[in-house]
Amino acid sequence: MSVLVLPHSWYRLHSFVTWRGVLALLVVMAAVIPLVFVIISSLGLDLDGWRGLWSSRLPGLLWNTLSLALLVAIGCLVLGVSAAWWVARRQFPGRRLAVWLMVMPLTIPTYVFAHIYTELLEDRGWLGQLWLNVFGTIPPSLFNIAGVTFVLTLAGFSYVFLLVQDALSRSQQDLEEAARIQGARPSQVFWRINLPLLRPAIAAGLAVVVLHVLSDFGAVSMLRFQTFTLSIYLQMNSRFDFNAAAGLSLVLVSLSLTFLVLERFFRNRQRYYGSGKAKRISAQRATAFETAMIWLWLGLITLFAVILPVTWMMVWSWHAWAHDLITSEFWGYVGNSMFVSVAAATLTIIAALPVALYHARERSLLSQSFLHASSVGFVLPGPVIALGMLAFVLAYLPMLYGGMLVLILAMVVRFLPLAIHAQESAAQQLTPSIEQAARNLGARTWERLWRITLPMIRGGIISAWVLVFIDTLKELPATLILRPTGFDTLPVRIWIEASEEMLELAAPAALMLVLGTLPILWFLIRPSRSGP
Amino acid sequence: MGDNMKRSGLFTLLLAGLLGFSGLATAEELVIYSGRSDRFVKPVVEAFSQQTGIKVVLHSGSSTSLLNKLKLEGARTSADIYVSNDAGNLQKGADMKLFKPLPAALAERIPANYRSADNDWLGISARARVLVVNTNQKETDFVKSVFDLADPRLAGKLGITHSSNESYIAGVTVYMQKAGEEKTRAWLAGMKRNVDNSVFNKHSKIVMAVADGKKAIGLVNHYYIYRHLDKHPDAPIRILFPDQGKDDMGVAWNVAGVAISQHSKNAAAAEKFIDFVTSEAGQELFASANREYPTRPGVAAATEVPAAGSYKVANVPMADLGKYRNKTLDLIDAVGMP
Repeated sequence: MSVLVLPHSWYRLHSFVTWRGVLALLVVMAAVIPLVFVIISSLGLDLDGWRGLWSSRLPGLLWNTLSLALLVAIGCLVLGVSAAWWVARRQFPGRRLAVWLMVMPLTIPTYVFAHIYTELLEDRGWLGQLWLNVFGTIPPSLFNIAGVTFVLTLAGFSYVFLLVQDALSRSQQDLEEAARIQGARPSQVFWRINLPLLRPAIAAGLAVVVLHVLSDFGAVSMLRFQTFTLSIYLQMNSRFDFNAAAGLSLVLVSLSLTFLVLERFFRNRQRYYGSGKAKRISAQRATAFETAMIWLWLGLITLFAVILPVTWMMVWSWHAWAHDLITSEFWGYVGNSMFVSVAAATLTIIAALPVALYHARERSLLSQSFLHASSVGFVLPGPVIALGMLAFVLAYLPMLYGGMLVLILAMVVRFLPLAIHAQESAAQQLTPSIEQAARNLGARTWERLWRITLPMIRGGIISAWVLVFIDTLKELPATLILRPTGFDTLPVRIWIEASEEMLELAAPAALMLVLGTLPILWFLIRPSRSGP
Repeated sequence: MGDNMKRSGLFTLLLAGLLGFSGLATAEELVIYSGRSDRFVKPVVEAFSQQTGIKVVLHSGSSTSLLNKLKLEGARTSADIYVSNDAGNLQKGADMKLFKPLPAALAERIPANYRSADNDWLGISARARVLVVNTNQKETDFVKSVFDLADPRLAGKLGITHSSNESYIAGVTVYMQKAGEEKTRAWLAGMKRNVDNSVFNKHSKIVMAVADGKKAIGLVNHYYIYRHLDKHPDAPIRILFPDQGKDDMGVAWNVAGVAISQHSKNAAAAEKFIDFVTSEAGQELFASANREYPTRPGVAAATEVPAAGSYKVANVPMADLGKYRNKTLDLIDAVGMP
C-alpha cells in the first residue's frame, strides 16, 4: 500500500504569498534566464549530437572537472583550516597581519595567478632558474592537473580561511570547557566538539571553492586544462557550435546543482543557535616555538599566494612606469572597473536579500529550490551567462542593449549565489524568537526588516557586498562579451595585454586590482574582530 | 535617518548613472570590433582618424567572441567594421551573413586569393607559416618540408604551439587541402610523438627555445623570428621556408583582414576605412606594425623580411581556411594533439 505523503511545507502555501516569497520568486526568475537560454539552445542538439558528445567528450570532461574540483577542495581545506586555526586560537606577534595576508590572494584573479606562475616557471623565470640550480632539471610544467590545482588552490583557499576563522572566533567557550571538565583530551575536543561545530563553515567555504573551480575560466583557459568551462568555450568559439556548448553547459549545471544539494543536505542535518550571551573563546598566547612554527607555515603560504605574485606585478609595473607606458587611459580603466563593481555589488545584495531571508525563515522545499535555482549563475560558465543575457535582452528589453545595465545585470546574476549564501548564513544565526518578539510588539513587516533583521545580519550583508565586489572586479569572460562598445575594465586590459605578451602593460592593471581591493578587504576581516 | 537619506541618495545617483550611460559610441563615430592585437591596430586607427577626421571607437576582444557577438546582436549591433587576425574567422562571419559585400573598386585592389568570393571581406596583411632553425645544430639539415617535422629524428627537438592556436589550425587546414587528409593525419601523429605532450603556449617562446638551443627547430609565423632578432640580434637562428621544391606545395599563408558589418549604420565612414587600409600608405602601416606582408601588389613588406615573391606560397584560397576549419578541428581532435 502506498500513501502519497507531501512534505509538510507544501501545504503551507500561504507562506509563499509573503513579500519575501514574491520578491524571491522575481529574483529567481531573473537568475534563471541564462539557464533558459541554455535549455532552449540544447534543444537543437539531436540524439546523435548527444551521442557524439557522450562518446567523444563527456567522460574525459567529467573526469577532469571532478578530479580537479576534489584536488582543489583538499588543497583549500588544508591551507584554509590550518591557517584559520592558528589565527583564531593563538595570540602571536603579527596576528592581524596574518589575517590580511591570508585574505589578500582573493584580490588576484585566477588567470593572473596562472599567467604569473607560467612566467615564473619559464626556464628564464625566477623560479625556473632557481629550480634549475637546485635540482638540475627543467622546472615542472603547470599545464596539467597539478598546475591547475596549484593555481586554483592559491586563488581559493582564502574563502575557507575566512569562513572557518570567523566560525572559530565565534564559537563559544562553554562547550569546549564542558568537554574538558568531562576529561576530554585536546584532540578529542577538536574531533568531537570543534570539528562538528565547524562543519557548516567548512562546508560553506568548500562550496564556494568548488563552485569557483567548476565555473573557472581564467586559469583553465590559460593552462589549457580541458574542463567543462573550457570545452564549452571552445565549442562556441572555434566551432561556433552553440548547441553542443549548450548541451555541455546543461551537464555542468546538473553536476553543480547535485553538488549543491548534497552540500546543503549534509549541512542541514545540524543546526546550532548560539545563546548570544555565552563567553567567547579567548585565544591563548603562543609560545615562542609555536610562534616560529606558525610563521613558518603562514610565511610559506604567503610566499606563494602573495609575495611572489605581487612582487612580479611590482617589478613589471615599475618597467611600465619607467618607460612612461601608463597613460591617462589606464586611469579610465580603473574608474570603469570600480564603477561596475560597486554598482553590481550593491544591486546584488539588494536582490539577494529576499531569497536569503525567505529561505532562512521558511526552510521549506520551495525556499530550498529557490536557493538552488538562484545558484545557476555561479555554476554556468561566464561566456554562457553573457550570451544568455545578451539573447534575452535583445529579445525582450532591446532598449537596454548596449548600455552598462546589461553588463551589471549579468554580474548580478552571476554572483547572486555568493551574496545569498553569505546573507542566508548570517540570517540563520538570528534566533527566530527575536523577530517573533518584534512581531508581538506590533512591528510591521518593513519595520521589522529595517530595525531588526537588517541590523542583525549587517555583517552578512557587508561580507556579501565585498565578496561580490571582489568577484566582479576580477570578472573577465562575461565582461568581455557584454561591456558597452569601447568600454574596457582592468581585467579586460590584462587579458588583452597578456595575450599580446605585453607584460609591462598587464602588470599595472593586475597591481591596480590588488590595490583597489585592499581597502575593501578590511570590511571582510573586520567582523571577526568586533564582537557584538 | 541621515543614514537612510545618504543611502537613497547614493542609490539614485547609481541608477542615474546606469541609465544615462549607454555605451561610448555615437552615430558619428566608427565602431571597430577588433580581434587583432591592440598595438597593431591602434596606429592604423590613429592615422585614419587624423587623415579623415572620423573618430573611431576601438572595441578589442577575441576574434571569435566578437563574431558571436555580431551574430547575436544582429541589426542592433553598433559595429561598423570587423577586424580579425584569421581568414578562417572572416570566412565564418561571411558564412553567417554578418558582412556587407564591399564595392568592387575597393575589393579589387587585393588579389582574389586573399579575399572572399563575394567580397564580403578583404585580407589586408599576410603572414607565413615557416620554420625557425637553430644554426648551431646540424641534425635538422634534412628538413625540407613541414612534413619532415614528423620524422622520429626530431624527437624531443621540435617546438610547436598547442593545437587551439588559430595560426596553427589555419596551417593544418592548408596542408590538408594540399596534401590530403591521410598524410596530414600521419604528420600530426608523428609530431605528437616528437613533442611528447610538451607544447608551447606562445610562438615567441618557441623561437626563444630554439635560440637557446633547447629545441632545434620550431613551426612558427615568420614575424616572431624577426621580433626575437630585434631584441637579440646575435641569436643563432634563421628562417627556413619549407616545401620549396619544384613539386612541393609551398609555404602556408594566412591573412588578417577586415569586413563591414551587415548592419553598419555608418557605411560611408566604414568604406573610407576600407579605402584607407587598402591604400598604399594604409597597407604599409597595417602590415609593417607586425612585419607582415601587405596583400596589395606593389607594396613591400619590412626590409628585414624575405620579399613576398622570393619564395613559393601554397596556392589555397584564404576563404578555404574558414570553409574547412571544422574538418581540421575534427582531425586535430581525432589525433589528440595537445
